[in-house]
Amino acid sequence: MNTIKKLTKAREASSLLFLVVLFAIVGCINSDFLAPSSIMACFNDSVVFTLLAVGMAFAIFIGEIDVSIGSNLGFSAAVVGSMLRDGHSPVLAFATGILIGVLVGLFNGWGVAVLKIPSLIFTLGTNGILRGMIFLYTGGAWVENLPPAFTAYSSKPLVSNLTVYYAVVIAAVIGIHILLTRTKKGKYFIAVGDNEGGATLVGIPAVQTKVLAYVFCGIFASIAGIIYASRIGFITVLAGNGYEMKAVAACVIGGISLTGGLGSVIGAAIGAVIMSSVSRILVFMGFSSDYDNTITGLMLITIVVLDALLQRHSAERIRRERLTNRAANAAQKGGEQA
Amino acid sequence: MKKSIKSFFNWDMFLLCVLILEFVIFGMKNQKFLMPRVLLASVNDFIAICIISLFVTFVMITGGIDIQAASIVGLTSIIIGVAWQDGGMNVWAAALLAVVAAALCGALSGFFIAYCNVQAMVITLGGSFLYAGFALLVSNLSATEAYKGISGFPDSFKVISKFKLFGVIPSQLILFAVLTLIAYLLLHKSKYGRSVFLVGINQKAAEYSGINTRLVIMSTYILSAVSAAIAGIMLTSYLGTSKSDLGSNLTLNIITTVVLGGTLSTGGKGSVIGTALASLVIGILRFGLPLCFKVNTQYLDVPVGLLLIVVVVGRAIASSPKTAVFFKRFQKN
Repeated sequence: MNTIKKLTKAREASSLLFLVVLFAIVGCINSDFLAPSSIMACFNDSVVFTLLAVGMAFAIFIGEIDVSIGSNLGFSAAVVGSMLRDGHSPVLAFATGILIGVLVGLFNGWGVAVLKIPSLIFTLGTNGILRGMIFLYTGGAWVENLPPAFTAYSSKPLVSNLTVYYAVVIAAVIGIHILLTRTKKGKYFIAVGDNEGGATLVGIPAVQTKVLAYVFCGIFASIAGIIYASRIGFITVLAGNGYEMKAVAACVIGGISLTGGLGSVIGAAIGAVIMSSVSRILVFMGFSSDYDNTITGLMLITIVVLDALLQRHSAERIRRERLTNRAANAAQKGGEQA
Repeated sequence: MKKSIKSFFNWDMFLLCVLILEFVIFGMKNQKFLMPRVLLASVNDFIAICIISLFVTFVMITGGIDIQAASIVGLTSIIIGVAWQDGGMNVWAAALLAVVAAALCGALSGFFIAYCNVQAMVITLGGSFLYAGFALLVSNLSATEAYKGISGFPDSFKVISKFKLFGVIPSQLILFAVLTLIAYLLLHKSKYGRSVFLVGINQKAAEYSGINTRLVIMSTYILSAVSAAIAGIMLTSYLGTSKSDLGSNLTLNIITTVVLGGTLSTGGKGSVIGTALASLVIGILRFGLPLCFKVNTQYLDVPVGLLLIVVVVGRAIASSPKTAVFFKRFQKN
């Protein structure tokens, strides 16, 4: 148990180290990047990805995936944005947005946990439906003219350069991390992802846990959609297209194992900062942002391949140690008998 | 007698019925739909889905998944354009270069999946970023702005998509038929095909029975990448322009087609005929809905996504033990 804890800690620490080294290297090439306002901008700009990655982390913890969050973000943003534009009360608009997330999460959870359909395929279908629903809802037009108070809130600072949004999100991430690691129910997610059969046998409601994970994933995507609307100020029909892939990448970079049961939401948040800083870093290094996709893909593949190789190496080492110990024990026993 | 009925009414037959139903409904709604010229020309719009799904079936039978094929279509297209216009190559040599590049991309992803034991989904996800990124970088090598696309290909290249056998059957349909035949022979009638199935059913057993399972897995990704390249060449020739983002919205359609064709996403089961029929079902759906029901083409993800969900949910319910018990009780009564 202790070793698992240590390993998890090491995984987050290594992604944090990666973030620091990455920023340091960019800072060496262009010292402007290390100005406090620039560094803080990296964090503040990652708020949408942080929310998506934390939601995605729930799905990945249980050993599944949710690729519908990009469209979920777009649809929630479009609905909330248009409600605010039409003068509905903000509370009603936000509640509707979050309700969308809950419903999408329940639907995905039903398909994946109850019907046991491979999650990628099921959520890919949901993604298509939701993307089409954005077209149906908006009629292909942009949602514009959001209330200025709503859009201005995105740049409102809490202290100096830290925006309110990012501060709240970080507080929430830390809170969730504590809930997931310190409470009994919170540990269910990791337990189900690590060994579903085992978790069921010790009395953990595996199906409910999985559905709940998808509901959380949906809610986070909706909140990300609301913040997206507030930050960008307009919503196109393609809002959030492909974000699901970046959220998965952020989780993987943050040290969450895609086989499930390993990692933490803090790792996901760190990964999200790295992911969303890529295009900013490219600009500071003097490259065109056309390299964005290439770097993202390269980083994703490198990290998962390295992770797989390291895991295989450590599994091999543990097996060898076990066999050596067994052989030594057998020899000892043999010696005693003789 | 009962057995023959059962084997007659299998999944492929069901797909064929759906296809016929589509023809009937669309034909009744809009007479234009059934005009051979219109119907046969529609193949141009969905040929990429047909070709790629045939070989993504191989990948899914081994238990993997391929979501990078769509980005390879764009990469192929832009390589042809840049190599021909800015590299001064013969257009056929450029197409060959594109196929080789696609095969290398497939081999790279396949290598990581087969030899490093990384999940297929993550690698092909990374691959879809990487190859789309490559396509953008390649397009920057060109003197033409990326958004314009490279056009003005020689007629000899354009003719491969404009050619019509007996003046009616478009070359795309011939290509599709030929590739279906090749895929069918490869998967269902060859030793290689048997090993693809065995790898999907039980990789360890396949390994112990002397099959080089890793090579088989890697080869399926190369096949799907090459098929994406062929689709890319066909699309470039048909549109007369090479663009780096060609085919970027195909992923959902390809996966839906393969799943609809009866391939198990967990591997070990699937058929080329099923995929071929399913690709026609989806293609006709994507063609018929806008023509006959005035559905905006931008909404087409809704029916395709719904179809995917309905098929997987239906199959999950049908195969669950509860349903079997229910039907048994039903039969007794």
